Amino acid sequence: MSSTTITRVRRPGAALQRRRTALAGWLFVSPAMLLFLVFVAGPFVFAIALAFLKWDMLTTPEFVGIQNFATLFSDPILPQVLLNTFVFAFASIVTHLVLGLLLALAVNRVASRAIGYFARVAIFFPFLISWAAVALLWKYVLDPTFGYVAQYLAGIGIEIPNFFADPAWAMPAIIFIDLWHTVGFTFIIMLAGLQTVPSELVEAARTDGATSWQIFWNVTLPLMSPTMFFATIITFIGAFQIFDPIQIITRGGPQNSTTTIIMYLYEKGFQAFDMGYAAAVALLVFLIIMGVTVLQFIGRRKWVHES
Amino acid sequence: MRKTRRSGWKVAAAVITAGIVLSGCSAGGGGGGGEGEPDSGDLNFVYMGDADQQKAFNALFAEFNKKYPDIKLKAVGIPSGNWATFSTTVATRLAGGQKIDIIQVATEGQRLFASKGILADLAPYIEQDQDVVDGYWDDISPNLKKFNEEFAAGPEGETVFIPGGFNTMAMYLNKDVFAQAGVAIPEDGNWTWDEFVSAGQQIKEKTGAYLVGAGSGYFADVMPWLTTNGGSTFNEDWSEPTYNTSQAVESAEFARSLVEMGLAPKPGGQFDANTAFKQGKLAILTGGRWPVLGVRELDMVDKTVVVNWPTKTGNGSPVGWDAWNIAKNSDNKQAAWTFIKFLMSEEAGSYFAEIGGTIVPARESVASSAAFTDNAPEGSTRLSEAMDFATPIPSIDQGAEAQKVIEEAWATIIAGQGEAQKTLDAAQAQLEKLVGE
Repeated sequence: MSSTTITRVRRPGAALQRRRTALAGWLFVSPAMLLFLVFVAGPFVFAIALAFLKWDMLTTPEFVGIQNFATLFSDPILPQVLLNTFVFAFASIVTHLVLGLLLALAVNRVASRAIGYFARVAIFFPFLISWAAVALLWKYVLDPTFGYVAQYLAGIGIEIPNFFADPAWAMPAIIFIDLWHTVGFTFIIMLAGLQTVPSELVEAARTDGATSWQIFWNVTLPLMSPTMFFATIITFIGAFQIFDPIQIITRGGPQNSTTTIIMYLYEKGFQAFDMGYAAAVALLVFLIIMGVTVLQFIGRRKWVHES
Repeated sequence: MRKTRRSGWKVAAAVITAGIVLSGCSAGGGGGGGEGEPDSGDLNFVYMGDADQQKAFNALFAEFNKKYPDIKLKAVGIPSGNWATFSTTVATRLAGGQKIDIIQVATEGQRLFASKGILADLAPYIEQDQDVVDGYWDDISPNLKKFNEEFAAGPEGETVFIPGGFNTMAMYLNKDVFAQAGVAIPEDGNWTWDEFVSAGQQIKEKTGAYLVGAGSGYFADVMPWLTTNGGSTFNEDWSEPTYNTSQAVESAEFARSLVEMGLAPKPGGQFDANTAFKQGKLAILTGGRWPVLGVRELDMVDKTVVVNWPTKTGNGSPVGWDAWNIAKNSDNKQAAWTFIKFLMSEEAGSYFAEIGGTIVPARESVASSAAFTDNAPEGSTRLSEAMDFATPIPSIDQGAEAQKVIEEAWATIIAGQGEAQKTLDAAQAQLEKLVGE
């Protein structure tokens, strides 16, 4: 048997053609690359460099080596701040996943198309409102004297806590407001995930006599696990960087009970004018988010059903 | 070879990126610039003002442009919750490379900007127009000139600011609510803490209205209660905090008692004080000159009277004043000085007061004229007269951090979340640490 040798025939201008193709590709991705360089890579590199400097934004920066990192590990307020942030992030993940899933299941079962569409819009609508408007709105609604909640409940003899002035209630209030504002996004993700559950599997389980709960637990949930995995990651990343409602409503108070890591970073950078230390905190945030995300990816093998 | 070349490109890209972004890490503007011409050129002016205030400022700038059409004034109003936030915003813009020729800086930010060496020495300009400046000094409160020298000088003691309008704190009383409750309004504008509480109890009983709001703003809430009891957050030269003295504790406890007695709405949320004032649910608005805009909008000018803050040991009020300066790196320092001279003028002061400026004019002649008192509540001149007993709002270099500590402690106390002495002791320790830095 003779072997056929395949000889590459070099057409004239092939190299030029390949370069042109490559150039076209680079040109197509260049806008996105430019945006990435300017708004992501550039600031990231800048932050790393800044973490080794002492800079107050108004005078010339001074190289201080690892002093900012040393301060980071001996900062007495940082543990409380990190605890607040993790509490918020964990509560956010749990509430968003549970409520988002329940809402998606409920809307998915609605027979009427019109009602279904209305429900989707109504649930997602708060997500479209800016954080500034949402925070101010809830500040008025939950005012302990003139707010609607206080006034109506006072009418039936119930006195509400002073949500934003009581350290025990401030963080739960922020968690609730965040849930109201952003559960619509998780809901949409869950709803999209529900559409990927093959109806024939559900029918087959029903035919075999499975109850609704059994269908949900053994069929729907496992098949939804990739979606839930995605929602967990996105929710954690967003929740860990929460800033807007805290800056507007509580400014990190009362008594640092709602000071989260980004709020702390803002205070250090833009109020204490210590940009170097703020950059070190920013790097810590990056490492934590990256570390948790990696752990989540490692953990996915245990609970995410890959079909 | 290909792999090496590819890695080399990657390294080069990273280095170039780092170089480009690190070049953004520059000082905010400490030197250079040029004199330019006195009646032409571009000027960038940054000031604090929300949407309403910007309308008044823009009208003022239009007047300037009529007089000096060849000076292209670009004025940017930055709405900020307070002066500390404004100073932070301006510092960020300077760090970002924005050229600003004149920055309106209030007391809360003056030491910060002055200490960084980014403002030009105004002595040569003052000298070149000594008559104009002397005329201005003669028409402003001697205290204002003194405060400017004491608290807002440059690192070598040079003059870097010209003080502008100011605000003190007073109370705007709803005449109808007081009349309905049968409570007499102090004729000379003075009353004591005890008389204030009695008035509040009577108003609550007869009308159901709250007496006054209970906030924790450094200037608008903390300092008035401290200064009317002989206290303050810092000592006279701002070198030591005095936030846990017996006077401070007594003041904080008094402010808390207003909430406990039901004379002030519970703090913590947000409510529309102006609407409550109009509806007769709130008897008093507090503020400097700025509540006048709201009072006018509510059509309550004739139904409102301005009185002094109630006293425990004597009259007291914080005072904060605007100041104008020229940035060292301005390319048009002469034009900037022309604009500052305009702002100092009686004409500008009167015009600004008429159109709804939210500060008390620096010039006493304007503050006592119809420009300031027309379409303003009776007793408005008390805001200017308060300069005689006012205390400059202590504003150390770490102003924003100090303000947070002060406000947080006060908020804790008036919300009933912490005992006054203990809370103020903790705040005092934090302030001592800040001063020591």
